[in-house]
Formats: sequence, C-alpha cells, structure tokens
Amino acid sequence: MPTSAAEPLLKVAGLSSGYGKIGVLHGIDLAIGAGEVVALLGPNGAGKTTLLRAVSGLLPWSGSIHFGGQDLAGAGPREAAKAGLVHVIEGHRIFTQQSVYDNLLLAAYDLPRGERAARVEEALGYFPEIAEKRHERANQLSGGQQQMLAVAQGLVRRPKLLMLDEPSAGLSPVLVDRVFVVVRKLRESGTAVLLVEQLIDKALALADRVYALARGSIVLEAGTKESDLHHRLEHAYFATGSEQH
Amino acid sequence: MLFSIVVSGVAIGCVYALIGIAYNVMFSASRVFSFTAGTLGMAGGILGALFILKLGLPVWAGFLLALAGGAVLGVVTEILAVRPVLKSLDQHLYVLSTLALALIVQQFAAIEWGTDAQPFPRLLNLERSSFDQTFWLPMLACAITIVGLEMLYRRTLLGHAFLAIAEDNYAARALGLPERNLRMASFALAGVIGALSGFAGGQMLLANFDIATQLTFYGFVPVALGGMGNNRGAVIAGLVLGLFQQAANFLVGGVFSSVAVFVAFILVLLARPEGLAGVALGRRV
Amino acid sequence: MDMSTTGIRPARASFLSSPAVSTALPWLGLAIIGSTLPLWAGGYWGVIATRACIYWVLVAGLNLLVGFAGQLAIGWVALLTLGAYITAVLTAGQAVPALDPYLALAISAVAGAVFGVVVGLPALRLRTFYFAITTLGFATIVRQIALAWSTVTGGGVGVAGPVFPEPFDSQWGFYYLCLIFAAICTWMTINIAGSRFGRALTAIRDAEVAAEASGIAKPRLLMAVFVFSGATAAVAGGLFASLQSYITPDAFTTELSVLFFIGVLIGGRGSIIGPLLGTILLTVLPEFAAPLVAWSTFLYAVLLLAIVLTMPGGIAELIDFKNRRPLQTNRAIVPRPELLKRLLAEDQEPGTLTLEQVELHFGGVRAIDGLDLTIVPGQVHGLIGPNGSGKTTTLNVISGYYIPQNGRAVLRGAVLTQLAHHRRAHMRIARTFQTPRIVGEASVLENVMIGGTIDGTGTFFESLLALPRHWKDEKKLRETATLALSAVGLEQLAHVRADRLQHSELRFVEIARALMLRPAFLLLDEPAAGLSADEIRRLGTLVVAMAKNGAGVLLVEHHADLIFDICDLVTVLNLGKKLAAGTPAEIRSHREVVSAYLGG
Repeated sequence: MPTSAAEPLLKVAGLSSGYGKIGVLHGIDLAIGAGEVVALLGPNGAGKTTLLRAVSGLLPWSGSIHFGGQDLAGAGPREAAKAGLVHVIEGHRIFTQQSVYDNLLLAAYDLPRGERAARVEEALGYFPEIAEKRHERANQLSGGQQQMLAVAQGLVRRPKLLMLDEPSAGLSPVLVDRVFVVVRKLRESGTAVLLVEQLIDKALALADRVYALARGSIVLEAGTKESDLHHRLEHAYFATGSEQH
Repeated sequence: MLFSIVVSGVAIGCVYALIGIAYNVMFSASRVFSFTAGTLGMAGGILGALFILKLGLPVWAGFLLALAGGAVLGVVTEILAVRPVLKSLDQHLYVLSTLALALIVQQFAAIEWGTDAQPFPRLLNLERSSFDQTFWLPMLACAITIVGLEMLYRRTLLGHAFLAIAEDNYAARALGLPERNLRMASFALAGVIGALSGFAGGQMLLANFDIATQLTFYGFVPVALGGMGNNRGAVIAGLVLGLFQQAANFLVGGVFSSVAVFVAFILVLLARPEGLAGVALGRRV
Repeated sequence: MDMSTTGIRPARASFLSSPAVSTALPWLGLAIIGSTLPLWAGGYWGVIATRACIYWVLVAGLNLLVGFAGQLAIGWVALLTLGAYITAVLTAGQAVPALDPYLALAISAVAGAVFGVVVGLPALRLRTFYFAITTLGFATIVRQIALAWSTVTGGGVGVAGPVFPEPFDSQWGFYYLCLIFAAICTWMTINIAGSRFGRALTAIRDAEVAAEASGIAKPRLLMAVFVFSGATAAVAGGLFASLQSYITPDAFTTELSVLFFIGVLIGGRGSIIGPLLGTILLTVLPEFAAPLVAWSTFLYAVLLLAIVLTMPGGIAELIDFKNRRPLQTNRAIVPRPELLKRLLAEDQEPGTLTLEQVELHFGGVRAIDGLDLTIVPGQVHGLIGPNGSGKTTTLNVISGYYIPQNGRAVLRGAVLTQLAHHRRAHMRIARTFQTPRIVGEASVLENVMIGGTIDGTGTFFESLLALPRHWKDEKKLRETATLALSAVGLEQLAHVRADRLQHSELRFVEIARALMLRPAFLLLDEPAAGLSADEIRRLGTLVVAMAKNGAGVLLVEHHADLIFDICDLVTVLNLGKKLAAGTPAEIRSHREVVSAYLGG
C-alpha cells in the first residue's frame, strides 16, 4: 500500500482555520498519497469537518495546501473540484426538490455538455439502488439512499481525491457496508479517499493510514496495520488535556 | 361594468404579480428581500417611454432596451447592495442597502425625468376596445413569464442550478456550483421581470417615478400572502389583490379602496404571518 | 508585571478623549450653538434651525424604535401627518370649535401614542421586511385619508396650522419653543438609553435569545417604545403644522418618512448624538444641494449606501474616539472565585430541577427519547454524548425553546415546560449559549448589566423622567455588574466595546451576565469551545466555585477532561436516551461509553 516517498497528492502544512473569531484548527500537517485511503478520526468538536471544509475552500484558512502540485491558496470548492479534489459534505445534503438525475447533472455543471450524460451514468453505475430511481424526486429517497446520491454526486467529477464527511451517519449497517464497498472499489481504481468516520473499526479495516485529530491538532498518525492501534487512539483522545500546559 | 372591473383587476393584478415574482427571484437567490423590486417596475415604464417616445425607436427596440436596463439594474443591485452585506452577520443591513439603492435610482429618475406622470406609448397599432391592449398586454406578459420560468427551472441546467442555490446555498457551493455568478444571473433575471412588468403595464400606469413606491408596496403583497419564494402563490395572490382593489374602487371609490386593501392585507398577515401558503420560521437557538 | 494584581493602567489619555469629556463635548457645543442662534444667524437660518428641532422631536422617538429596538418603521411619517392634522384642525375652528394650541398639541400627543401602538403592533408578529412594508402602507393610507376627508382636513386645499401664543408667536419665539421641545426629547431619550430599558432594547435587537434568557419581555417593552415614539412624532407634527403655517397632504411624502428613518441609521444605532447630527444633516443638506429637492434626497441615499458599505456604525462610530484606543494584546482572564459569595447569596430553598420522562421529536426524528435528569444545587452535573445525542436540545427544553411532546421539566412545583421562555429568569435559571450572544456595539459592562434587567424596580416612565428610582436601579445594577465582571476576571475591559473582545473573553462575559440573576441553576452550553487549555482550567475553577456557593450547574460539553475534572455527576446521552449516569470515574471506565464517545 503506497505511502509514496514521491510528492504526495495532497500536502497540507501548518493549516489553521475556524469560524469568525473562533479558531478551531491549529497548525495541521497532513499528507495523502495517490490511491491511498486515509481515515480521519477524533472526538466531537475536534475539527474534522472544519479540516475538510478548509481543504476544499469552503472556509478561509492560513498555512499551505498543495494538491497535485497545485497551490490551492484562494481556491474555492469549484476550483478544487476542477483540480480533482471533491468534497462530499456531511449530512447528505442533496437537493430534495429535484430528481436524482438532476442532482447528478448539477454535479456535472462544469463539464462539457456532451459528456454530462455519460458521467451521470457512470456515477449511477456505482449505486444500482438509486440508478433505478433516477427520475424520482430526491425527497422520495430514504436517508441511506440520499447518502448514496451524495457520494454519487462526488463521483461524477472522477476525483483524484474524494473527501467523505461521515458517510455512515444515520445509516443502517447494511447501507453503511454498501457505501464502504464503493470506497473499496474506488481505491482499487486508484482514487484516493480521505474518510472522516464515526465507525472506527470499519474505517480502520478499510483504510491504509489513520490520523487522529483532537482539539484542533493532529495527535496521532499511524498505518492501520500497526499493533496496539486502539489503545493508542484511546490514549490520544483522553490524555490530551492533562498533558498540555 | 363587471367586465371592466374584472379586466382591469386582472390586468393590474398581473402587474403586481410580476413585481412579486421579481421579489421572489431575488429572494431565492440570496435569502434577502430587496427594496428595488418596485423601482424596477418604474424603470420599465420610464425607459419604455424614453426610448420609444422621446428617442423615437421602434417598439421592439424600446422593449428590448427597457428589459436590458432592468437587467443592468438587477446586476447593480446584486453587486452594490446585496453581495457586500451577505458576508456581514448583521441581519438588517440588506434592508438599508437595497432601500438606499432604490431611492438613488428613484430620485435620479425624478431629476432626469421629472416628477409628473408622462404618457406611455401605444405599443401596438390596434384600435381601442373594451378588452384593450392596455389590459391584455400585462396579462400576456405575466403568462409568458410564468411559462418561461417553468421551462427555465424544469428543462435547463441553469434553472436547476437556480433552484439548487435557492434550496441549499451551502450544499450548492460545496458541489462546485458557481454560486456568485448564479446569484448575479438571478438578479439580472429579476431585473428583466420587473422591467417587463412596468413596460407591459405602462399604458395603464403611465411613465411615472411615483409608481415605484406604489409597486414596492403592492408588489410585495403577493409575496407576503403567497409565501416567500412561491411564484405560483404570488400570481394567485396578485390576481386576487388586483380584483379586490378594482372592486373596492368601484364600490367605495378611490381612497377607501386603498384603506380596504391595506386593512385586509394587515389582517391576513397578522392571522398568518408566513402567508397563506408559507412555511413557519425555524429554530433560532 | 503581574496583571492580575495591579490591573491594567490606562495609557495617559489626552483630556479631549477621556470618556466624560468626549461624550459631553458635542452636547455642550450644540447647546451653545442652539441657544445663541438668533445672535449670529439670520432669519432664514432660523427657519432651518426650527425645522431641525421639529424633525429631531420626531427622530428622537423614532431613534428608540429603529436605532435601539431595531424595528424598521420606515413609514413613521404617518404619525407626523396625524399629529399635524389633529393639531391644525383642533385650532382652526372650522370643523370643531377652536381649542387652545397647547391643549390641541396634548390631544395630538395622546392620539399619536395610541396610533403608535396600532402601527407598531404588527412588529410583534411579522418578519423584519414585512413590518417595514406595512408601515409604508400606513403612511400612504393616512395621507390618502387626509386628502379624501375634505370636510375635516380641507382635502387637497389643506388647513391652516396652529399659532402659539406669546412669547412663541414670533419667528424666534417659535424657534425657542421648538428648541425646548427638542431639548426635552433629547433629555428623555438619553435617560432611556442609559437605563435598563434602553439596554434591554438593544438586547432584543442584537441578541434576542439572550434577552429572553435574561427575562426581558419583548412585547411590553416594545409597546412602551411605540407609545413614546408615536407621541413625540405627533407633537412634532403639531409643531410642523405651525411652522408651515398651512398644511396639505403633499407635505407628508414617503420620501420624508424614509429620510427620517435614514437619519437614525446614518447617525448610528444605539446612539443619541449620532442620529441628532444625522437629523441636522438631513435638514441642512437641501440648502447646499442643487435647487431640486430630489438632489438632496439623492445625496442622502448615497450617503446611506456609503455608510452601510463602509461604516455601518454611522456617525456615532466615527466620533467614538474612546473605542479607537488600542487594547493590550496579551490579556489574561483571571477569575476571582472568592467574589462569588457576594453574588450567589442564598435567601431561599432553591429546590431541584428535574426532567421527567421528556420526549421530543421533530418530524420523524426522536431528538430526546424518554429522559430523566436531576440537577441538584451545589453540584456540577455534566452532560456529554456524541453529536446529535440531544445534549443542547435538552438544555433548550429546560430553557423553554422546545416544548416536549411528553414529559416535563419541574422546579419547586412549577412545571417549566408550560411557562414562556422569559419566565426562567424569574425562577433564577440562567444560561449561556453555544455561540456567545452579545450586543457588539455596547460596552462589556452594559452587556453584563443586561443580565440584571429584571431586578430593576423603576418603570419606563420613571426612567424617561430620570426620577429617583431610575438612579437607584442604575447604581445597583452597575455595582452588581462590576462585581460579576471582577468575579470572572474581566473588570479591566468593562468599558470596552464588546465586539472588540476575543472569543474566549466573550464566553466569560456571558457567564458574568448569567451571574447577574443570582442563579440557583446555571445551564452552560459548551462554554469551553474555543478556549485555550489555560482558560479551560480557569473556567473549571470558576464553575466549581459557583457550585460551592450553592448553584446547581448543568454543564453540556465536548471536552472530556473538563467534564471529568470538575463534575460531581455525569450523564451520558446517546441518540436522545440516557446511556449511563454516575461519577466521572464510573463513566470513564464504562465500556459502552468509551466506544460511543470515541466513536462520536
């Protein structure tokens, strides 16, 4: 499993970000290689969602972010997607008043007109359950199906790095597995994935490496095959307070 | 007599409905109500009279230029009065900035155009009748707008994108949709619709800078009653308003009809603050 | 230098920018100019000055409504029209026998007060923009009635304005009459601005949920302001009619109404001097602008747009030299828990706050699924759980923002879930919020004083006239607030504008504000978010001290270490249900909790 010695696909250094006056992230360093699956874990309020939002340009940030050699300073989600960095936000926020097909078509907004239909079909190929509902309104789908639609929206752009924010939230175990199967397929086809997850065991089973985030800083970085990982994670979460001064 | 009331009521109702739609289109794109909607209507009337009567251009040219003027006003509204305040946390600023801009445009019209009502050109070379173009032009404009918007929203990707930013602005941004350009385009569209309202209704309302205040108020009633962002509601409420106003005019005359309309409006709004079809306010904490 | 013991010494400020002088100076200047005007200005400027005074009588009242309470009453000219016509008709002697001008003015004021309530009432139910539009409608209606009711109002022809008896019948005499009214209105509005009512209005405007949590009842307060603003506008109308000598409906345009409104905002919200200067500008501008009336309105609108885009605080912000002084950069928050004893003095049996089998759902989602919880005075009770477990929702149920479908919250026999939100403050339940809700433009001390609004004994009327109880209330509130700020460690920032503070300092300001209620129960919503490790420790010490002094604390938090350090009891929520409850040690080793907590 490649943690390539060559230039990583995503390189984040000294990243700080927050909401208005509230600073959430303090000097994050992170790297993801091409084709890697990396899990980002941490307790609530640690800043996992904030980190994804900063990387994709939804929030202002300071520090440096390089993707595929390109400097992402000043880039928003649109530019990031064009470069191959796609962010599927938390909460399966798809457009409920429009059809499944139209939701995917919107994801293809920046693609040449001729290619749009083909890309939509390609994305639907990953999720046959919603492919058969393509002309139904998105508010007719169950929560799990909406989550699949959200991930499919991300796949329309054929990303080099797909960032998923808690894709399993609120899903039944069966649907969670379906989503994770798709992530596995993506890895096989060479797409890198940054996965923020609540289900630690499933995430660790899928990922190559893991970062743990607590109170805005990276407290652990390890390969998922390393021994003693669970214990080290617990330690990282609960010990932060008493070790800081 | 009844025929005359119905025809004029529906006609003026269509004008009000179009202004209401302009309010709605701006609201859907930015979550903000702009005071400039009524001013757009005024601009449509004044620009139409300016191009066709004063400058002698053919009707179709005056029409297109008036709509273009509306589009420009719309975009200017977005850039100057809406975009800068969207970033700020302060809730009420958009009211002030759009109010200021509306006043600036209105006063400029008063200065350049004069404060008296000026005639609006006869657009089509037809004989006058009881169902005159004065009345069916606004109805036609309203119908075309509704059909046009339906087709835009249902059939085009641009329309889908407008719906997307109206429903969930954050998700649209995260998906990579060009949120700022879409908002500008929405305001341009609202500008066209507002100007169309003033142009089509010009023969009824004349080219008059005073119309702005009237349309600001009467154009908002369909929005308040029909539900924010709800175009179908705006049309229905607009027609009801127009008919009610004309009927009251006939029955009790001038002033009291305004009072009647206003009292009815206030009562309905107090009973149902979200409008007859609207959705209640959400969580604040 | 040890900041905690010596406090921060202010830099040697120049005489001109010391607080007392910088606020008094403009008033002094205006008073001198105003009272000596006839000595150096001609008759023409006398008329302008008279008009400015009359406009200010209206704008002073409107300022409380728009600038302080944040109600967008753009159609307030309706009341000017009403006042003008009532006074004119009652003195003209045509429709009714002529009355004494002062009596007519008084009647007009009463009518204005009543009509002010009528126009203002929708504000309680309608959204901001909707309310603005309805006031616009009122303005048009009143004018049209004046036009149509020609038997009384003279219709388009109009009616003669009142003439006041000696010594106010000459031009300069009338000027002094208007100046007197203007001075009285200024004095009254300054009194309100510096009272608990003025602060409560700004709280309603900028931090409505915090206002409710402090016990402020919006409807009653707003009604008082509508009454006052309506009365002053009507009086201004009567004076206006006299100035014009003859009034017609044309004089009361929508433009004028909007201009009054703009005057308040150009002046700056929450200020008295700002809108006064804005009104003077409004009156004087047409003299400098080109002959057309439209040009001065045009320029005024351009000025408003410029202010909104560049300096939303208006003139008031421009002349606020006090808040331009730089703040010290490494400020530390050093609480003094020993002062809490004086704030949390017990005088009665507080009882326990219990949640019984509370169930709350939104649509299909069960936010809280059968929860039992008890908060005991003297204890710190932690509430933790993954995102979406219902922690903040539980707090909001206790606060009264959500009414559970089943179950109830009870305190001393009273069922909380049946009470309006703002009643919690009266039961000495205080809270803080996930994001600090403060009035940015007010000082830190004023923000804290908002917390004690319900402790005042004087009425709105007494504050208006600066009667003794107003001063007594102010003194007491100021002392308590200073004590509360000292307890949380922020007393050196008392006079700084709140929006200049750092996020962490604002969290402590919220706690100080909550302390003003002398709470028996304190609900803290994620107070540690955004705080440094040091600040979290100090927060912990403060919370423990509050509990030791008798308060029952419910602490909703993410920060595991804070919870485990200071809580006596911890309840863990997951998916709206109680997963576990016990001492920190028990919870920490509880298998399910560890996985649920780690996992979320």
